[in-house]
Formats: sequence, structure tokens, C-alpha cells
Amino acid sequence: MHELYLARCIISGVHKALADETKGQDVTDVRLRVGKLDAVVTETLTFLFNAIKSDGGLPNAGLTIEEEDVRCVCDDCAQKFTVAQPVFLCPACRSAHVTIVQGRGLTIVDITTTLEEPDHADPCIN
Amino acid sequence: MRIPVLTNLLEESDALAATNRQTFEAAGVFVVNLMSSPGAGKTTLLAKTIDLLQSRGLRCAVLEGDITSTLDSERLAPLGVPVVQANTEPFGGDCHVGSHFVRAAIEQLPIHELDYLFIENIGNLVCPAEFYLGEHRKVVVLSLPEGEDKPVKYPLMFRECQACLLNKLDLLPYLDVSVPLLRERISTVNGDMIVFPVSAKTGIGLGTWIEWLEHGRQELQARHVGARHDVS
Repeated sequence: MHELYLARCIISGVHKALADETKGQDVTDVRLRVGKLDAVVTETLTFLFNAIKSDGGLPNAGLTIEEEDVRCVCDDCAQKFTVAQPVFLCPACRSAHVTIVQGRGLTIVDITTTLEEPDHADPCIN
Repeated sequence: MRIPVLTNLLEESDALAATNRQTFEAAGVFVVNLMSSPGAGKTTLLAKTIDLLQSRGLRCAVLEGDITSTLDSERLAPLGVPVVQANTEPFGGDCHVGSHFVRAAIEQLPIHELDYLFIENIGNLVCPAEFYLGEHRKVVVLSLPEGEDKPVKYPLMFRECQACLLNKLDLLPYLDVSVPLLRERISTVNGDMIVFPVSAKTGIGLGTWIEWLEHGRQELQARHVGARHDVS
């Protein structure tokens, strides 16, 4: 059940990323990118995040999870390919020596808050 | 307002693991993270491995990870090596050893007097594969009664590990399991995986496993000695 650990990491990661003046209660959504190889049960992660978010100071936050396909590059012929099943063989030359280039790892992509965008208008222009 | 973040969710865990690794490199201790499903034979394998390494005069220690109980630590006690027990929670906690447990173990162990530290992870083929602890090698133990399907069902574990011990080889005559098919499936998930068919119970195949460990440790020793010469 490492989804509970991951849910805690999301909460601490969001607080770390927020500027001092932004409060946790202002956060309305957290977008998380999850590599498909990471064996994360997204429904479980969402359920657990929702269960602990209020205690974690993010009472209004939703969680949007984007799953990322596993992509590899062949070490022998440089062919790039998507791995749909757990078979890490190059479709071009059948080599088993491949490197994963995408689809492994967990990333907080961005955070949405109720705060308005800062006004970037040039104060010198009327 | 949307705030871009783009940070690794496991940033803190990975940073602590990197600190652990620096400590291991500085101390010249070779660290192996041993993972498997429950009952694959990690503790028996560990006991035999440590016995063989001790007979070569090598100094070992163990971080014993379990959700609860000290049963595995008690099994290793007769070997006389330092064992740190890490229980994640008495009634069901984290399903993996985290880098903070390893850090705590470092504080309790005579780390500069060791050649090997073995981390016996919690029995689970899913979660422990996710976490880097600072180890030099990740090794999965797969016992033959578990069947040929496991490498394909748990691809992250078999992608992350550098070696796989096919344990309980002594049971092969009683099982409907094909070692060549198992090897083929491991290879389709990880073509670089080194496979050691072994029986921790009888000792079959453990010699090549010990040689592989020693090769890794000696590489570390060479770096360690090189670094000391660079400083002096």
C-alpha cells in the first residue's frame, strides 16, 4: 500500500512548492504525472489523497492524475518504441537491451489555486 | 492561477537515499537491497550468504525490514552479525523499507567496520521496487513454486533489479515449472538481468552468487582506495 505514502508525499510536495503568501486552502487542484511502469493504483491514490487532504491542510484540493506511457529506446539500433505490455524487446531488431526514456517516475506537474494571476502589465505603459 | 511545479514526488526520499549512498561509498561498505514476495526464502538465503562471506573473513550486517515482528532477526542472531530491525508499524504500516529507515540503521551500525550491509526488504513484489535507498545493487529473489508468470506480472521489480536468484531449486522435481521459460520471461522484461539458479537450503548455486557479490564489492573497494589516494 505505497499509495498512502505517495499521498503524503503529494501533500508535503504541494506545501513545499507554494509561495509563503499562498495558503493550502487556496489549492483547488494538483496535477500529478504517473509513469505506467510505477504500478500505482490511481483510484487508490485518489481515494487516499481525498481521505487525508484536510488533515494535510489542503481541504479544497482535487487530484488530477495523468498516466504516462512507457517509452524505450533500443541500445542496439536506436529504435524508439512504446511498451504496451511488459515485454521490453525492440520491435525492430528484437534486442532485449533497451533503456526506458519515459513512463517511470512520479512528478507533481502543477498546482491550481483560487488566487488570480499577477498583473504583468508594464507599469510604464498607460 | 496555475503554478508550475515539475518536481519529483519522491524528491526527499531520493535525496536521503543519495546521502546514504555517500556514506556507504565513504565507508567502503557494499550494500545490497534484497527483495521478494513473502516466503521466497530471503532470510534463509541471507543466512547462507552471510555464513559464506564470514568464512572469507568478511564483515556483514543486516537491516531487517518487516511490517511487524522480530522473527527474522531472531533467525539471523546465531550468525553473530549486527542486525537492525525496522518495523514499519506493528499493525500494518508501510509496505517497503524507506530511505529514512536505512539512515536510522546507519546511525546504529558500526558502518566503518563492515564490508557488506544487506537490506532485507519487506516481502512484496510491488512497492519496494519503487524506492531507491542508496544501495549498490537491487536483487530480487524468486522461488520456483511462485511460477513462471511473476516477471511479467511485476515488471517494475524485474526492471529495477540487476540480479535475480531463482531459489528453491531443490524443489524442481516436484514442480510443474520450467526454468528455461522463467529465464525467457525474465529476459523479455530485463535483458540485462543476471540470473542465479540456487537453493538456499542445499547451497546449490551459491558459489557464483557469492562471486558476483564479491566482484561488486571489489569494484567499490577500488573506488574507495582510489578516492583516498586522490585526497592524500
